[in-house]
Amino acid sequence: MNPIAVIGTGQTKHSKARLDVSQPELIREAASAALQDADIGPDDIDAVVISNMEMFEGRAFPELWAGEGAYAFGKPCVKVATGGTSGTSACIAGFHQAASGEFDTVLVVGFEKHSEGHTQTGMALVDPFWDRAVASGALGNFALSISQYMAERGVTEEHAAQVAVKARRNAANNPNAHLQMPDLTVDDVLASRMLAEPLHLLDMCPQSDGAAAIVVASEETARRRGSQAAWVRAATTRHDQPYLGDLDRRLVTMRALRDAAQAAYTRAGITDPLREFDIAEIYEPASYAELAWYEALGFCKEGEAGRLITEGVTAMDGELPVNPSGGVLSTNPVGASGVIRVAEASAQLLGRAGAHQVAGAATALATGYGVYAWSDVIVMRTEKP
Amino acid sequence: MDADRDLLSVSLEMDLEWRYASGESMERFLLGVGAGRLEAVRCGVCGRRYLPPRPFCGVCRVRLDDWVPVADAGTLEAWTVVHLPILDGRTGEMRPSPYGMGLIRLDGADTTLNHYLDTADPSRLTIGSRVRAVWREDRRGAMDDILHFEVLS
Repeated sequence: MNPIAVIGTGQTKHSKARLDVSQPELIREAASAALQDADIGPDDIDAVVISNMEMFEGRAFPELWAGEGAYAFGKPCVKVATGGTSGTSACIAGFHQAASGEFDTVLVVGFEKHSEGHTQTGMALVDPFWDRAVASGALGNFALSISQYMAERGVTEEHAAQVAVKARRNAANNPNAHLQMPDLTVDDVLASRMLAEPLHLLDMCPQSDGAAAIVVASEETARRRGSQAAWVRAATTRHDQPYLGDLDRRLVTMRALRDAAQAAYTRAGITDPLREFDIAEIYEPASYAELAWYEALGFCKEGEAGRLITEGVTAMDGELPVNPSGGVLSTNPVGASGVIRVAEASAQLLGRAGAHQVAGAATALATGYGVYAWSDVIVMRTEKP
Repeated sequence: MDADRDLLSVSLEMDLEWRYASGESMERFLLGVGAGRLEAVRCGVCGRRYLPPRPFCGVCRVRLDDWVPVADAGTLEAWTVVHLPILDGRTGEMRPSPYGMGLIRLDGADTTLNHYLDTADPSRLTIGSRVRAVWREDRRGAMDDILHFEVLS
């Protein structure tokens, strides 16, 4: 793979309902912000990748009718959709395009407008013979896996609530974030409505309207521009088997995430992730997921995730700030959420993360999570390969 | 764009019909379910007994055609009680809440089965409990021919 870097990022203001813009206008908001951040014009873009869960909005072919929002006229424009990993998969597709040498500069845009559609319907249109007859949705599926994870790893509702509090407090420093709750407490989370035992309302991500974009550039372009760049040092994807019951105690084992992380760390030369990463933006759709990811990503030994959150190791002033942006728990326009992880990790390395900047961040991790267990892992550095 | 102003919007409703082919392995399995019989399919390479049955072992990348019987009783491996109604992706109707959901490892299968749980006494739901299928009288050859699983004393 030729060296490539992210040279600019852009995001919309994310919220419950962006009734002031259409979908192409939402995309344009993020795309134009990314171009401005990269200090390039629309003609400098050679190819476009779009990420969207079109089943959620019930509108087909976003790569056609929304493409012009991403400056796609006259250029190759493809859509990437892999569940929750759509955004990170789109970024990785953009990395591959730029790294191939065929395209110099690639724009990746992810978006979702949950307010315009039926997210639960999109989630319910699964295997018509099996899962539709015995459905419990993303919520029920997650709760099942959490019951196993709690039983085996000693994680408690209080540990999970601390993750939920950290996310929403971090989001208070991110002007783009959907849920900003600077005063949220563990008691508030535990007192919020029970959705699926042990998941409370505030343990879960919201549904958001929003878009995010990154500009990926070849080594020559990234260097010629003389600006800082967030160099992509590894990007790996692993998909697991199709049925929930195929995955053995999935939050405990997290086979796909462990495998993807191991491959990415080997490629990027990461041996002690907790110490070597300066910031991580990980895709945590539920509070408990972040704890399980700590273990699968090698931030701690098995059974120590609760200690990490309680001791503040992953807080903004901890050894490894996890999700300074507020994460998926604070902002979740699904097709954009993976792009947001990469955009946030890149902005940290570019020193442009504003009030939630981690000072001197030089090595960053971004992950994607989709359906039951699909995983993308991306390692970036300020240092060129 | 004026962030203070909501744009004109349009509301649409659709009533649609889809028809899906089952595949040979799912057809055999569901015909068995209609007769009150459960079967898994075993991989000749890794030996894993898959439920639901399927045409291929994704891990070993081989065709599957070795059918093995599965009991309608097993071990509860995970459970939750869901307090939100869930959309039935076949009918568009909502399944009322609360309802119990479990991952059940049926005797004779290596994967777990996600299915509903009897929640008459939620305190009996614990990982490791023995559970048994409660079958519908009028079976149609569908996964909900099993109404739910109940905890055995």
